[in-house]
Amino acid sequence: MALKIMVTVKRVEDPESKIRVKPDGSGIVTDGVNYKMNPFDEIGVEEGLRLKEAHGGEVLVVSIGGEKSATEIRAALAMGADRGVLVRHDGPLDPVVVSNILAKVYELEKPDLVLLGKQSIDDDQNQAGQYLAARLGLPQGTFASKTESLESEAEQKKVPGLKLSSDGKRLVVVREIDGGVETIDLSLPAVVTVDLRLNKPRFASLPGIMKAKKKELKELQAAALGADLTPRVVVKLLASPPARKGGLKVADVEELWKKLHEEAKVV
Amino acid sequence: MIDKKVDSFVQSLCMGRIEEEIIFPFPTMKAGEREMVEQVTASVDQLLGGREKDFRAWDVKGELPPEFIEELKGFGLFGLIVPEAHGGLGFGSAAYSRVLQQVATHDGSVALTIGAHSSIGMRGLLLFGTEAQQAKWMPRLATGELIAAFCLTEPGAGSDAASIRTTARREGTDWILNGEKLWITNGGIAGFYTVFAKTPSASGEGKAHMTAFIVPRDLPGVSVGPHEDKMGIRASNTTTVHFEDVKLGDEHVLGEVGQGFKAAMKILNAGRSGLGGGCVGGMRKLIQLATRQARERRQFGRPIAEFGLVKQKIGEMVVDAYATESVVGVVAGLSDQGYEDYAVEAAISKVFGTEALWRSADEALQVAGGNGYMREFPYERIMRDVRINRIFEGTNEILRLFIALTALNRVGTQLKELAHGLKGAMNDPIKGFGVLSDYAMKHATIRTGLVGEKRSFSKLHPALSEIGDHYEGLVREVAWVADRELRRHGKEIIGKQFVSKRIADVLIDLFVTACVLSRVTASLEKQGEKGAARELEIARVFSRAARSRIRGNLHRVDANDDELVSALADDALEREGYGWDLMTS
Repeated sequence: MALKIMVTVKRVEDPESKIRVKPDGSGIVTDGVNYKMNPFDEIGVEEGLRLKEAHGGEVLVVSIGGEKSATEIRAALAMGADRGVLVRHDGPLDPVVVSNILAKVYELEKPDLVLLGKQSIDDDQNQAGQYLAARLGLPQGTFASKTESLESEAEQKKVPGLKLSSDGKRLVVVREIDGGVETIDLSLPAVVTVDLRLNKPRFASLPGIMKAKKKELKELQAAALGADLTPRVVVKLLASPPARKGGLKVADVEELWKKLHEEAKVV
Repeated sequence: MIDKKVDSFVQSLCMGRIEEEIIFPFPTMKAGEREMVEQVTASVDQLLGGREKDFRAWDVKGELPPEFIEELKGFGLFGLIVPEAHGGLGFGSAAYSRVLQQVATHDGSVALTIGAHSSIGMRGLLLFGTEAQQAKWMPRLATGELIAAFCLTEPGAGSDAASIRTTARREGTDWILNGEKLWITNGGIAGFYTVFAKTPSASGEGKAHMTAFIVPRDLPGVSVGPHEDKMGIRASNTTTVHFEDVKLGDEHVLGEVGQGFKAAMKILNAGRSGLGGGCVGGMRKLIQLATRQARERRQFGRPIAEFGLVKQKIGEMVVDAYATESVVGVVAGLSDQGYEDYAVEAAISKVFGTEALWRSADEALQVAGGNGYMREFPYERIMRDVRINRIFEGTNEILRLFIALTALNRVGTQLKELAHGLKGAMNDPIKGFGVLSDYAMKHATIRTGLVGEKRSFSKLHPALSEIGDHYEGLVREVAWVADRELRRHGKEIIGKQFVSKRIADVLIDLFVTACVLSRVTASLEKQGEKGAARELEIARVFSRAARSRIRGNLHRVDANDDELVSALADDALEREGYGWDLMTS
């Protein structure tokens, strides 16, 4: 009951880099910005690897973007994934386009499970997974999490948070919802988007990085896949948030009230 | 044409030549290797990031916990320079140096544990090991199952490494090793020692030579002393290692019998890019700490970053870091490109880098003020950690003498040839003519500054041409001074340490400037004057400061108070102390 698991990874700006908006608001200044794998996708890769280690199978890593996105695929291969597919597309991406392209890759690869980060930290849209499931007519489990803490023994032992049924046909997903968790049971194949508390991703060891050099990394052209590449969302303008005004400390409730009433004029 | 076997940029400077092909274009890593290094450094950050509290605790305790060393092994950090065929990453000097840089941004003790293993501990096996020796030991060194240590220093043999007393005598087909090694980094955690011992000369008579041996920890007679209580790099393991009648077969001889001293020097030399990388990493970290501190700390109603004297410190740290990175990059490139005689350049990178790092640690601590002095903050630990760099792997004093005397030796050899030729010229004026005119030409060129072959740069970016002009003038001056001093002192130059130090300092500044110029040229060519504007500023600042130091040093070779200073030292030495006191005068 080996599982074929497809995990998506996206190249995003490293949040530790200083992000500046271009003067004309058309995008960000990329000079001096570092890139890395979207942290939610790292969790997806980790979960894929754990499922493979527990049940056997294959972890396939898919990314969409320019040639540099190969770096993030290599990073996932270095963590232990088996092979990579880079769909080359230099045009603008919105969740609709992403799901269109991924649907085509799904048709080619026919995995048992697709794992995506719940969102990417650049645009924070949180839609691609949901669109993909809808487009493919597959069950979906979003915001996958688990009840055990990230300090638990199960986590130390790298037990998968997603539970595969003994016949390998169903997957139990614990979802994060407002104020608690919800447990759902999906039939495979399915699409799962992963949340922050599902696992603590491993990092690549140096031997892992060496091995990754020799793993297969296939390139496809988005245009050749026959997917609709027209974005539905067009970014018109980017702007930095206004600089925050400094806060102040008050001595007591009376002063607080006075400030709120007289200066802020909110009460 | 450059001959990679013998040509050296710095040694040529002393003869008035600028062999720019050796250091232009600025060396870069191949795309594939760079991508690997990017992945490795990112992984290093994941492994070591956010463990500041651990590093501090381990410094206090004076030990890296065994579990952490296991983590380093599992992560693969002991296999950096082990060839791929033997299970390592097979990194060249530039890549290795960059990875150690990354480790050093996190912790000095960790960097040293990795560095002592790769830079020197197992370097001899890589350089001189037979195929069989490499096949036997490399795979276990790559995984860290065996950690390596370099055993040269002894209680009576520090800078004077040739005076070691550890011996290996022949007994049948075996070698019997006896002796004690001191201050061995990784001594207590290593399983593989590269040990230097005196061995009898081939005939059994005459002077003993030095030979390098591979000694595994598990042989009978090998033992280690307790962990030393050190000022800095406290968590890195340092012990004595003892050898008592350790029986070694010929398969334990590393390199040729009798060639151990040369081997030790070559190992230290090849290992310098690791320490150089460590220095750059330390400076990168210090600049990050100092800039954050300067922006956050407010005095007189503003962040101290706004004050000139704070800016000056930070600006100079940046220039020092860039210069160090440049010289370390060039030296790693020389090693990777197969140059064989780059010992002087490597020594310069060690002296300059370790002193630049020391300055940075001192200034960063000063920017932090009282906080800098508190153990709660990392400055004092970094300061303690980096102090050793100016002492070990050849003290900076010994290396300065080495730099000057090696370069002067080249000039001396040339002079000797000329003198020989002159004698010939007396006997056979026709045959001697060429020699004489060469001699005259050399002097004429140095004196008049006529632009001859290799007396000037041709590969500098035009934006750097003014700096280049000054540089060429200084090279003529240093060649002139080298020539003069050799004539004045002859062989006695070896004892003239004040002269040697000044010439060494001049050569250090000249070489580091050349490395900066090479790097900035590459940057200007890639990014244009606008894109590389900052680097152009660094080149200007560094080269101007270097020029003024060089002028001062050249001037003081001749006009100095050396004899007075020596006399004062003699006086203090005689009384073993300071001879004045306001109370009694």
